Amino acid sequence: MTGPNVIVTFLSAMTEASSLFIAAAGLTLVFGAMRIINIAHGSFFAYGAFLVTTLVGASAGGSFWLALAVAGLAVGAMGAAVEVTVLRRVYRRDHLVQLVVTYALFLILADVALHLWGTQARSVRPPSMLSGSVAIGSRSFPAYDLFAIGAAIVTGLAMWALLQRTALGWRIRAAVEDPELLAASGTNVPLLYTTVFSIGGLLAGLAGAIGSPLQSISPGLDASVLVSAFIVAVIGGLGSVAGAAIGAVIISLFDTAGVLWAPGWEPAFIYLAMIAVLALRPSGLLGTAER
Amino acid sequence: MKPPASGRAARPGASRPAEARAPGPASAARGRGMNAAVVLGPLSAAVVLLALMPALLPTASLLNLQSALGLALFACATNLLVGYGGLVSFGQGAFYGIGAYVIALAWLHWQAPFWASFIVAPFAGAAMALLVGLVALRARRLYFALLTLAFSQLFYVVVLQQTGFTGGANGVFGTILPPLLSDPGHAYYFTLTVAVLGLLILWRITRSPFGMTLRAIRENRERAEALGVNVFAHQLMAFVIAGGFCALAGTLFVVLDQSANPDLLNWTQSGYPIFMAVLGGQFVFLGPALGALIYEQGRDVVLASFSDWQLVFGLLLLIVVLFSPDGVAGLLVRGRDIARRRLRSLRR
Repeated sequence: MTGPNVIVTFLSAMTEASSLFIAAAGLTLVFGAMRIINIAHGSFFAYGAFLVTTLVGASAGGSFWLALAVAGLAVGAMGAAVEVTVLRRVYRRDHLVQLVVTYALFLILADVALHLWGTQARSVRPPSMLSGSVAIGSRSFPAYDLFAIGAAIVTGLAMWALLQRTALGWRIRAAVEDPELLAASGTNVPLLYTTVFSIGGLLAGLAGAIGSPLQSISPGLDASVLVSAFIVAVIGGLGSVAGAAIGAVIISLFDTAGVLWAPGWEPAFIYLAMIAVLALRPSGLLGTAER
Repeated sequence: MKPPASGRAARPGASRPAEARAPGPASAARGRGMNAAVVLGPLSAAVVLLALMPALLPTASLLNLQSALGLALFACATNLLVGYGGLVSFGQGAFYGIGAYVIALAWLHWQAPFWASFIVAPFAGAAMALLVGLVALRARRLYFALLTLAFSQLFYVVVLQQTGFTGGANGVFGTILPPLLSDPGHAYYFTLTVAVLGLLILWRITRSPFGMTLRAIRENRERAEALGVNVFAHQLMAFVIAGGFCALAGTLFVVLDQSANPDLLNWTQSGYPIFMAVLGGQFVFLGPALGALIYEQGRDVVLASFSDWQLVFGLLLLIVVLFSPDGVAGLLVRGRDIARRRLRSLRR
């Protein structure tokens, strides 16, 4: 392969990684802080994408950027509502109950989405300022895809800053270690959980919104994204945002290589990688061991 | 009523003072549901009732009931792991699908007689479960759930992608069934027989020393280990048995539908037996079967009037999980106990 070809192939893989990372970061943040595996995370992603198609369509040629922001915030608010009305009741129950509850939400949200957006595949065009492409040697690369990669990097840095440099981040990390002690020292832990879950929702919604021009949006997106995000989060280490970034890059490269060299088998390789990581190092590449 | 579960599980450690605070209200409720009368009474009444159904119901409703019987076996087999073993497997759909595909592929490629592949299918499911279990049971709790999910997805994508052998997304369909089972009435009685026999064997297993040990491991793994129980071997055995019975339930899908398709193995499919168990009640043996019946009948009723069965089922599941930890069967058992107490006080 020539130089430009390698670069374009690599950038395509990174584009795939970008929306995957933002989705997986939300999943892993929620798992890290709350020990909850949120099946409805896939629904949040799909809602973000569907909302963008509606909002961009409604304001004919309307602002993609506004749609992006509104979709992300709306899904974040959905997350907060779900936490307050449902999840809060099952923190003390075993993990099977928590899993079933989020799966029930997944089923409910899937049917509601069918009502709101129908069964037809929908698509959205990137905003006009990013609709062109960038020349890379003899090849060209879509400008929007570069934006998606940039957005993932910014999200990753913002999450790092949030977790490491703010009081909220400090509390989230403390909640992972010892929620009782944190509550005793004056933190409103239920409110903290609502915040974390709504950030998780916001990230899923943003991932769906940013990814919306890159794929066709149809029912079933929720389930497929959820599984991909799980693979990424598990390989990186559930609970680790940096791990999610590495996981997203690895999976996307794997996927691209699979398409090139073993077409038809690439999903199988990815699941084998997930199985190998879970069996040999359940805490993933960067995760801390389960207590 | 004597709770046999905690009785046997607790015996070796009974002399230790710590035992006094071990069984909480939850384990008392769990023990109560395991009584023989609770299972055999409703089971024999249900079997008689179900055997009469072909004379009473139109074909469409009979098919629905037949589907519920297969799913009841699927859910109860899954519950051997999830409820009795405390092992949340999110990949039982793989074994269900394997059961269906063994029959469908044997028919497609080698024109194998149905009866031969019907016998082989559960063993194929059990053998695959042995391989998966050897790896998956290295992990605990949520990581175990994710590993079983990954394995089932692995099977799913292989079936989906290897179009030449498996038919890909279209699956396999055709006149797979022998003439004897092509008659709806015969297919129904066959399904009823297989499901009831399967449930009886599963029930015996849950009541055996093996089943008791499995529950003891669920309640306190460390103590079971300290008592010399080989935890891994017991859990692996449970996984193999559940895999075999899930595959058996999968063969009943072929009897119902004359087809096999990759969606049977998808992770969304693996959720259903768990929901049925949670909805019906995990800690009563026939709870998951009740959940399967509610699921199938409910779907029929809801879909007849409007389209949102997932929505209704999701809400139903949420309500039951939030307000009745032991599911619908738990409510029934509790109601019966209250009624008995009332009766006793009236007689006095």
